[in-house]
Order: sequence, then C-alpha cells, then structure tokens
Amino acid sequence: MKLGDVQFSEHEHVVVARLTGEIDLSNADGIEGAIAEAMLNHVLALILDVSALGYLDSAGIHLIYRLREKLRARGQTLRLVIPPDSPANDALRLAGVSRNVETVDTLDAALAEFSTERRMAEAEVPDPGNV
Amino acid sequence: MTLENPHHHVPRAGQTVLTPVEPALVPAHQIEAFARLSDPALSELGLEEFLDELLLRVQEALAVDTVAILLHDVDTHQLVARAAKGIEEEVERGVRIPIGQGFAGRIAAERVAVFVADVDHADILNPILREKGIHSLLGIPLIVEGQLIGVLHVGSLVPRMFGTRDLAVLQAAAARAAPGIERARLFSELEHEHQVAMVLQRSLLPKRLSDVIGVTSAARYLPAADEVGGDWYDVFELARGRLGVAIGDVVGHGVRAAALMGQLRTALHAYALQDHGPARTLELVDRYVQSMPDYAMATAAYAVLEPDTGEVQIASAGHLPPLIVSGAGGRVVDVTPSAPLGAFSYGRVHEQELLLAPGETLVFYTDGLVERPGTPLTESIDELLAVVRGAGSVDELCRRAVDEMVPLEGLRDDVAIVAIQNSAIDDHLDLHLPADPKILAEIRLVLRRWLRHQGANDSETMEITLAVSEACTNAIEHAYSPAPAEFILRASADEGRVTFVVSDAGRWRAPRGHDRGRGLTIIRAAMDDVEVNSAETGTEIVMHRKLAP
Repeated sequence: MKLGDVQFSEHEHVVVARLTGEIDLSNADGIEGAIAEAMLNHVLALILDVSALGYLDSAGIHLIYRLREKLRARGQTLRLVIPPDSPANDALRLAGVSRNVETVDTLDAALAEFSTERRMAEAEVPDPGNV
Repeated sequence: MTLENPHHHVPRAGQTVLTPVEPALVPAHQIEAFARLSDPALSELGLEEFLDELLLRVQEALAVDTVAILLHDVDTHQLVARAAKGIEEEVERGVRIPIGQGFAGRIAAERVAVFVADVDHADILNPILREKGIHSLLGIPLIVEGQLIGVLHVGSLVPRMFGTRDLAVLQAAAARAAPGIERARLFSELEHEHQVAMVLQRSLLPKRLSDVIGVTSAARYLPAADEVGGDWYDVFELARGRLGVAIGDVVGHGVRAAALMGQLRTALHAYALQDHGPARTLELVDRYVQSMPDYAMATAAYAVLEPDTGEVQIASAGHLPPLIVSGAGGRVVDVTPSAPLGAFSYGRVHEQELLLAPGETLVFYTDGLVERPGTPLTESIDELLAVVRGAGSVDELCRRAVDEMVPLEGLRDDVAIVAIQNSAIDDHLDLHLPADPKILAEIRLVLRRWLRHQGANDSETMEITLAVSEACTNAIEHAYSPAPAEFILRASADEGRVTFVVSDAGRWRAPRGHDRGRGLTIIRAAMDDVEVNSAETGTEIVMHRKLAP
C-alpha cells in the first residue's frame, strides 16, 4: 500500500493535484517531483487540494513552500485547498503558518476563482487576429 | 540471518557440530551407489521419483529408521519438508522450519553437520521428530555452487552414536544428490501438469504476510494429497494502517480451480485496495464471477481490522464461520453468511462489526480442515476451537490446527488457515529503529495505537503523533553516515501525562533557511514541555503532555 498518492486533473489550463494518504519525509520529494512535472508551460495555475490528506508534517509544509517558489519563478499561480477541519490545517496551525490569499476552503471555490479571473483577463486582451 | 557466517557456531543444548570428514572413509560400493544419483538421466525421473530413490539408498546404506529432505524456500527463509522415509508426516503436514531455529534450521544457517545423541535433551523445533520416538539424529546441509538448497537428515529410533563413517556416507550422498535435486526441481516444474499447477498455486499465495505494527499474523496452506485445489488466503495492508484479511475456496479441483482461485484472489485484493468495505468488496467479486463465461462458484470471507481500536468489519459469502481465540477461551463467531460468490444474480452481502480486543486472535480456515465423513461440521469446528485455544502465538495456533486436525492418511481436500492477532499493547514503548524515512509511517501507527490505549482523544492523538513524528524525522535526518544508523523512541505514561524521548547519535540539526526549524515549532506547539539536550554523543528530545481527563 502506497503511503501517499497524487491524482491529477486539468480544467482549462488549471491543473488540480489532489493529495491522498500521508505525506512525510519518505515521500515528499517524490510527490513534489510528480507535481512539478505536471506543470507544463501552457498551465496557468496549480490548485493543490489537500482536503483528503490524512497526515502532513513539516516535510509536507516544505513541499508546499518549494512548489510555491518554483511556480512563482515560472509565472504560474498556486492555490491551496485546505478545509479548516482537516489534518493538513491542524499541521499548518501548529507550525504557525497562517492562512493567506492563496488558501481556500473548497475545490469549487478555487475553480470558480480561476474561471472568473480568466474570463476577465480574456476580455482585456485584444484578439490577435484584429491587430 | 546467519547464512553468511558459516564459522560462527553458537553452542546449543544437546547438539554437537561435526567437522566434515574425508571421502576416503566411504566404502567403494556405496560411492558407486551414490554416483549413480548424479547421472543426468536420473534427474529426468522428476523430483518425486528422484528423491524417493535417493532416500531409499541413504536409508539402506546407513541402516537408519528415518530419512528426510527439507528444501530451502528462499522467499520465506524457511526449510520446507519435501520428502521423507519413516516420517512421511513431515511432508504431509507441510512442516516449515525457520532458518536458524531448531536442529535442521541450525544446519542450514551455519552450514554445518549436526549430531544429536538424545532428542529429548536437545533443541528440536519439529514436534514430529519427538512424536515418532526418534532418539538420535544426524543432519547435513545440501549446497550447490555455494547456494544452500536444503537439509538432509537421518534418524534412529534406538540410541546411536553417529560417527565419522556415517557422516562420510551422508556427505557423499549429499554431494551427489544436491545438483540432481536442483536439476530435477527445474525439470519437474516444467514438465508435470500437477507440478505446474502446484507451482501456480504456490506463487499465487502471498509469500510473506504483511507486517502491520500491532498485529501479528500467520497462515498455512496445504495441498491435497493427489490434486490441486482452489483454496487461498490473503493478508494485506490498507490505507490508514488497517489490515485486510481474506480467505476463499473455489468449488472444484484441478488446474481450472487453481487458476480461478488466482483470479478471485487478485480481484478481491484489487477491490479491497479501493477501500470498499468487506461487504461491497465481496459483492464486486461476486459480479466478477457472474461475468465469467463458464460456471464458477466460490465461498469467501473478508475482514478489515483497525489496529487502533480493534474494530473489525467482516462479511462472508457462504464461508465457514471464523473463530475468535482469546487466551484459553474462544468462540465461533456468528457471522450472517450471505450466498456464495457466483450463486445468484445481484447477490447482496451482509456486513457486521465485531471487536478484537488486544490479545485476541481472529481465525479463518477452509473446509478441508474440518470436513470429515460422518462428523457434523459444527462438531469438528468445535474440535478445531478446542485445539487452537490457548496457543501461545499465531504461528503455534496454525501449527496446532494442522498437526491435530489433518488426518494421518493425508488430505483429500486442500486446506488454508490464516490467523491475525491484535497484539497486546505495552505500557512502555522502547523501540530501536533504523534511521530510514520509511519507518515514519509505522511509527505513527504505533503511536496512534498506543495513545488511544492511554486514553488520548482524537485531537490529542493527532497532535502528539505529529510532534513525535517530527522528532523522529529530525533523528533520521541526523543520520548522515552511509552506514546503517539507528535511533531510539521511548514512551511512557504516568497519571495521565505521557512522555516521549527520541534519542540519536547526531547533533540537533541547526535550522537551514527560513523554512527549516518548523519541525521544532510544531513539537513545541503540540506538547506542554519540550527539552532538547544536545551533547557530543548525540541529541535527545524529551516531550511531555498532559492528556485531558
């Protein structure tokens, strides 16, 4: 039985990575690598969904920080789905990491945000065909 | 394993290690007799006939009462009785001896000849040797090109001082026979349908039972005397440290039953890993059986054990009721049986819950163990319960079941038995652990189980497990050296206050960058008191927390 796993889905240039099982020192690097590989150039944003994660500790928190750095360098956005009553939220709370603009409670909220944002962005960009 | 250390002999009660002797001591006519055993033509007899021939010649040459060959099963590090004269029960009961234990196990581990003058006063594991009244034993390892193949031993019902001449004859037989066994084994596996099916069936049974902390398990599978059957068992780990245990029996015999068994076992295992509960898992296997083009039917039972709490979810598709054994007591579990797999379209499987208290054992078995002509099934199930009650370990439980329940004339049907015990929980933990990140998940299983036992609630269990896991992570990260390193985790409880000590031989790792050091932040936030004691010799983290009443 695998300790932790990641399942990907893509919704219009937004990659959703859903983590399951447990993440610790033994598998954090492998999972980070898998997520980084899924972030191809055309992808605008990553939604990292940890709602179903049963265990997360400092190794997993480092994973989130490193991913954020990588994505920032490539101009890709990160959203974290962390329900307030999840084990991942407990770990972040104990680590003194505060929830911020990157953090949302549900996957639906994260997806909704991107579809609105994208529609607004598309409205501002002139159609290349007319230039 | 001491396989690689042939020169280190630990003295053991009643056993004498013999030094190899010169072949010159063997009479010429006997050398010739054994020389014929390495004739390539002989190996085409197949393994059965070959071993039969070999054992007869050894028995004759040494004038002994018993001869037995146990072959080395590399996957399980055990010796398996394969052929015997005078003690045929060894083979029928599928005797398995762990390498390193008892008489034969020692011969294999240390690769030495061992002489036992008096069985009654020696370290002997196999009860059959005593039961048969064997008095003296002589055994040697079988080795081909540096690889251990097995053990050959002879026995005498009357006291006998086996001497250097006996040893020389046995050595000559082994030297001639061992390569022949290897060849014949390969030949047999390829040639005979019976053998093919047996190999198929064996390869489909799990090699080593899953090792979930807090649960110990053991199992046996015995083929029928003359035909392959469709019994199987399976033990596997599920998410969140739970354990799945399954048993099944395909209706019918022969290669088809064995092949179908393999399919059903795989299907059940795969559905189970998808985290369907026992009832749903069996329903899905039932649909799978329904979808087969040919008629097929099987009984099966599947249980999921939560080691933290001892809760068991269980479901049975027409299978015999399991047993719960607790110390000297025990009972037949009243599981509502649903229809066998493949019996009805859209069969529904019932599920129920039971509790396996620490120290209790759940036992699944197939009908080959309890079915006998003229005896009502309930009677022989009660007999099985009486036999396994009070067994000191799951392994002993399985051994007793096989020793006492398998008829002397051999099995007409194959037999599977699997036992899992919810181990008793110690009040103090003192674990010496390898500095390997893979151990962290197991540590958390131990901690959750131990904390619940101490009365911790959900949030306390979560927070303390996280803190102690962080301390262990740090100890593992200390282990820079390429040599295997270890660290120690101790836990104790005193009047509702739990204390954990994690100690290693490295220095507390100074936080690197702004993200490091979160481990210690978490530990301090989750525990009431934390001390980090760093010295030249190592680092020790001591953590306390008072549990809510």
